[in-house]
Amino acid sequence: MGRIKKKGTSGNAKNYITRSQAVRKLQISLPDFRRLCIFKGIYPREPRSKKRVSKSATPSTTFYYTKDIQYLLHEPLLNKFRDQKALAKKISKALGRNEVSDAARLEKNLTPRLRLDHIIKERYPTFVDALRDLDDALSMLFLFANLPSTAEVPPRIIAKCQRLTLEFEHYLIRTHSLRKSFLSIKGIYYQATIRGQDILWLVPYRFVQRTGGDVDFRIMATFVDFYTTLLSFINFRLYTGIGLVYPPRLDAKSEEQGAELGAFQLESQGQSEASTAEEMVESGVNAKAQAEADRLLAVSEPEDTTLPPPGIDEPTDEQTTEGEPSSTALDTFAPIDPHADALLQPSLTADAQTAGQLFEAFTFFLSRETPRHPLEFILKAFGCKRVGWDTSLGEPGAYCGSEDDKCITHQIVDRPDIPLPSPPLTDGEADADDEDDGVFVRRHNERVPGRIYVQPQWVWDSVNAGQLQRPDLYAPGATLPPHLSPWVKPRKGEYDPTLSLAEQETVAEAEDEDVEDELEADQALNGASEGEEVEGVRGDKEARQLENELDEGDDLEGENGMDVELAASEDEDDAADKAEVDAVGEDWGGFSGDEDEVDALTRHNQSHQAELEAEALGRTVQSTPADPKKAAREAAQARRARAEKEAQEDVERRKMMMPRRKRKMYEKMVHSNARKDEEAEKLRGKRRKIEKAAVKRHGMA
Amino acid sequence: MVPLEDDDDEDRPNYTVTTDANGNPRYVYGEIEPVYDSDDSDAPANANTIGNIPLSYYDAYPHIGYDINGRRIARPAKGEALDSLLDSIDIPEGWTGLTDPATGKPLQLSAEELQVLKKLTQNDMPGDGYDPYPDMVEYFTGKGMEEVMPLSAAPEPKRRFVPSMHEHRRVMKMVKAIKEGRIQPYRPRTDEDREREEAEQEYATYDVWANEQPRPDHPMNVPAPKLPPPGYEESYHPPPEYLPDKDEKEAWEEQDEEDRTRDFLPQDHSALRKVPGYAQFVKEKFERCLDLYLAPRVRRSKLNIDPESLLPKLPDPSELKPFPTTCSTICRGHQGKVRTLAFDPTGRFIASGGDDGTVRIWDFTTGRQAWSVKLSKDEPVNAVAWRPGNDTCILTACCGENVHFIIPQGELCPPDQEARSREILDAGFGHAAAPTTASKTASGATKPSASTWSRPSSTLQSHGVLLTLTLRTTPKSLSWHRRGDYFATVSPSTTSISTAVAIHTLSKHATQHPFRRLKGLAQTACFHPTRPLFFLATRQRIRIYDLQQQKLEKELQPGARWISGISLHPLGSNLLVSSYDKRLLWHDLDLGLTPYKTLRYHSKAIRDVAFHPGGLPLFADASDDGSLQVFHGKVVSDEFENATVVPLKVLRGHRVVRELGVLSVGWHPREAWCASAGADGTVRIWM
Repeated sequence: MGRIKKKGTSGNAKNYITRSQAVRKLQISLPDFRRLCIFKGIYPREPRSKKRVSKSATPSTTFYYTKDIQYLLHEPLLNKFRDQKALAKKISKALGRNEVSDAARLEKNLTPRLRLDHIIKERYPTFVDALRDLDDALSMLFLFANLPSTAEVPPRIIAKCQRLTLEFEHYLIRTHSLRKSFLSIKGIYYQATIRGQDILWLVPYRFVQRTGGDVDFRIMATFVDFYTTLLSFINFRLYTGIGLVYPPRLDAKSEEQGAELGAFQLESQGQSEASTAEEMVESGVNAKAQAEADRLLAVSEPEDTTLPPPGIDEPTDEQTTEGEPSSTALDTFAPIDPHADALLQPSLTADAQTAGQLFEAFTFFLSRETPRHPLEFILKAFGCKRVGWDTSLGEPGAYCGSEDDKCITHQIVDRPDIPLPSPPLTDGEADADDEDDGVFVRRHNERVPGRIYVQPQWVWDSVNAGQLQRPDLYAPGATLPPHLSPWVKPRKGEYDPTLSLAEQETVAEAEDEDVEDELEADQALNGASEGEEVEGVRGDKEARQLENELDEGDDLEGENGMDVELAASEDEDDAADKAEVDAVGEDWGGFSGDEDEVDALTRHNQSHQAELEAEALGRTVQSTPADPKKAAREAAQARRARAEKEAQEDVERRKMMMPRRKRKMYEKMVHSNARKDEEAEKLRGKRRKIEKAAVKRHGMA
Repeated sequence: MVPLEDDDDEDRPNYTVTTDANGNPRYVYGEIEPVYDSDDSDAPANANTIGNIPLSYYDAYPHIGYDINGRRIARPAKGEALDSLLDSIDIPEGWTGLTDPATGKPLQLSAEELQVLKKLTQNDMPGDGYDPYPDMVEYFTGKGMEEVMPLSAAPEPKRRFVPSMHEHRRVMKMVKAIKEGRIQPYRPRTDEDREREEAEQEYATYDVWANEQPRPDHPMNVPAPKLPPPGYEESYHPPPEYLPDKDEKEAWEEQDEEDRTRDFLPQDHSALRKVPGYAQFVKEKFERCLDLYLAPRVRRSKLNIDPESLLPKLPDPSELKPFPTTCSTICRGHQGKVRTLAFDPTGRFIASGGDDGTVRIWDFTTGRQAWSVKLSKDEPVNAVAWRPGNDTCILTACCGENVHFIIPQGELCPPDQEARSREILDAGFGHAAAPTTASKTASGATKPSASTWSRPSSTLQSHGVLLTLTLRTTPKSLSWHRRGDYFATVSPSTTSISTAVAIHTLSKHATQHPFRRLKGLAQTACFHPTRPLFFLATRQRIRIYDLQQQKLEKELQPGARWISGISLHPLGSNLLVSSYDKRLLWHDLDLGLTPYKTLRYHSKAIRDVAFHPGGLPLFADASDDGSLQVFHGKVVSDEFENATVVPLKVLRGHRVVRELGVLSVGWHPREAWCASAGADGTVRIWM
């Protein structure tokens, strides 16, 4: 037998150390440790058994992997931290001696500069790894680019963030890598695909961000430090990958004037090129590709003759031509049967070619109330070459100067309504708001004929759908269709707002709805004389309750008859038994057996008995008005309830045969599924209500 | 011409010019010829190095010394005498008869050398051109060659050890100049420089991933989970059904921030211009930062399977039929609890005994009371059992300390059957007289025997009770051997442990107490259907005795605190044990001593359990919670297959009276019908 092992010398006890142990081992302060962890991407772990890991009686919360900490021991940054500490001591000493100039000189000359290049390479051995981790970095940098400069956030950092993010956006525009975008209440989500990696980030709306007291900007600044380095290297790689010079030239003057994206001048590695629209068209196309494209064009030309030239006609035509860019494009497969499994298809915008053609033919003008930067970015990223805007939104777009320009095909507006210029076309409902909008210069509040006016959501919905949407739905002042997230994958059993209610509701719900409809119809009949009294929509619950009451009424009649009959022969023991049966809590239901059939049988017998008795008494039987529809429905309901009950019983029975651990797991899964179902059901219920209300309103109108 | 050529030869460079792989000229140098001839030729090439010692020292060796390279110089072959004679006869030219000490060979001298030697010996000049007094060549001395001795014994001077004063002066000069500002030690970094440097460092100037090498993933590397993409409810203009109604909104606002499932309330804005800034943006991002570096990470494999697949496969319910589902008949008549019941072997009647001291027999199909007898006024009937076998109709009932043997009269028992039954009951009277063991106690008084078989009172006889066995303890359970000759009674009393278990022989009216000492309190007993085994349940154990060899075969450990009843499967390999601690235990006797399945579906104590005796794979248990549970328990004769147990049905109907529910359960001998006796005074028949 070997030596008895001492506790805490191997295994998990050795693999993990607490945070205080780690800090002590590295001999740095806690803030320095935090910075180091952020830079190096070291994070605490959750050991499988905390008890086995901690050696002390007091429960520690944070555990680090020992090898992570050992790996930090060799970090060059540690020396920098120590240098910083030494410098701080020197400065404080100088200040203590009242040698201010010395202190200033020390600070100026000796401050160590942290380089994070080696960390980038360590953390992301390949470029794809870096792209995979870009989500948080971009969100953070876009936030900082939109922050006001304060004591905690120096303007230098903000400028750097702005510059890096704009560079990144330029890359996306150039390669048409942007795939999807979504307007949420938090901000605008963008998704780009670079080298097969989906990158999703969130950009806040342009408002002054509220920074609460519980936000520690030092931590965020550390992250931003790292993220700027990372994004700068990524930008370098991306730019050089497509043959551009990095960093791009920044025109300080136009930046001051708020040109944003326009302030950059991209240069390809050979010659310089401006970022103006016209030049961008030519550049970036090499001769080979151009020749290829020409050849293709020449081939497809005879076919094109039948089609109207794109871009000038109505957008509906546009849609059709956009929809089938080439024969190699994928066809959409729409399932006919909603119960069949739907296969996932790559979305239409999935490749750069289609993405780059979406808005290619159009000229956009952005009204001054629209968010200029997101629109410019997204339009350009989806192929639009000419975007103009009002001068009040910053330096005018290099392309078109004024709103009256004839070549503008689309104008994006976000106003209540804009009347058409000619009297016969106006509907005379011009709001008072329009007057406010058009306070200055000429007839600003009137539409310019010959162009399409849309609200900004049209752009986003078109982008996410991969094809142009109907502009009349998005006309100024129109009630917009709901804006849907492009990332939600329809899953079986979950609520999908794009489908109609009938396609997804369960049988039970559908029938409930029918009941409700009929009830309402009845009510409408009854209450026709006294007018409309329903203020809202009757809920399912109420309907069900009402129906239950009706049923109970029926039952009562039947049961009375039975009691009369039974009272003679049987004592009250039976009733007590019955009560017992009902009162006993259901632990395990067992089989339902044939009780229902028995019930039906007894009920039938009872009615027969009642008839007989009535005959004996010489009365006619008060037969309940038999509503065949209702009866059929009831029967269906009973059948469904029975089937449900049986299924439930079967599941219970099988559950009993499972080991306890497995049963717990099963129950947990069922519970989570049930919660999802419940949510979906709730949503369907709400929708049903809303639809009803809409129908009613329509009917009243 | 020749000298010219020679000159050419000497001047010719010792290399040749060729072109190398790159096309450049390449010089290939030849071997350098060292001209050793010009060196001192005094030293002979192959000189012996032994020094100034006589050559005779080497006489014993095959060699005569060593050359300059340390190799042995071999002794030259010495000729035989004849050879030397011949040599002496034919003296070659220059023969001296001497041996060269350096080579060991005969020394031969040429004529000139001999001449020189001769001259030397004659003190003459050795040759013509010999100058005996040459001029001295003064290499090191003489005019201009005076040399001072280079070595000196003078001690090292101090200046060798101290810094140079001269250098110091020069440095101090520079220092002074620096101090005065005449010399700038380095160019001062201006702010411009600094900015430029910073700008250079601010943007990447090289590709970090120039030669990237993928690193295999390490199991301890846990990448941070990405944030989930936004759903419909996060839209600025979501479908209306996603908007919270008033209650939901209130509930959300009341909730603590950490409890909220969603950190925002869905809102609807009719146009993009109406969307306000999101107040929590910075906070959310900050929290994400905290999560990234502060939240412990763990790799968790998510189970993404259909929960249905976890459920075990069970036989189809239609396969499990038939089993009792509803209460078909209720037999009322007993006053107080009905303690026990038994189906008769033909399956037409049920016998039951209760607290009122009566035994009643019910018609199974109608529920009508067919026959009854009052056995005792104050003592309850604890057990009833029919003697097995279709040829007789004998019912045994334990009432108080007596075991009554009853032949019910009337329609129940046809006359021939009755006669046969009477015969069997009376057969033992002859035997009973002879071997009465008149044991005596220490005091001399006749110890009353543990059991007496006798005729009961005439009133009872008139009711069909034809034989009474009186024990001195109260038997609580009775079970027959399959042949109908033996039966066992168990009296779970603590006073007389030795007489707790008794095995009686009906044909001889004999009683044995097989266990003198019994560990634990006996509860119930039964016989194995085919083998001579006897199962005895004490409070916590079940002992299996071999009756032939009279030894303990096995002791089962069900793990129950207090066993209430046992039931043996008709095949005899599986045993069901019910216990007062709400458990029902299935023992596979082939598997081991611990239960194969432990079933806990009752909320109260289980009173009784019974296998279907007629081969249907059913069993039922009776519990104090007022319910019976019916199970499918299929036993396969194949040893390798375990029994399958499937719960089928809960039969409810008995009322719970003073915390007592169903007290006994019995099965119809052939059909899937069962009967139960309840504390509410009813016997219910389920089919």
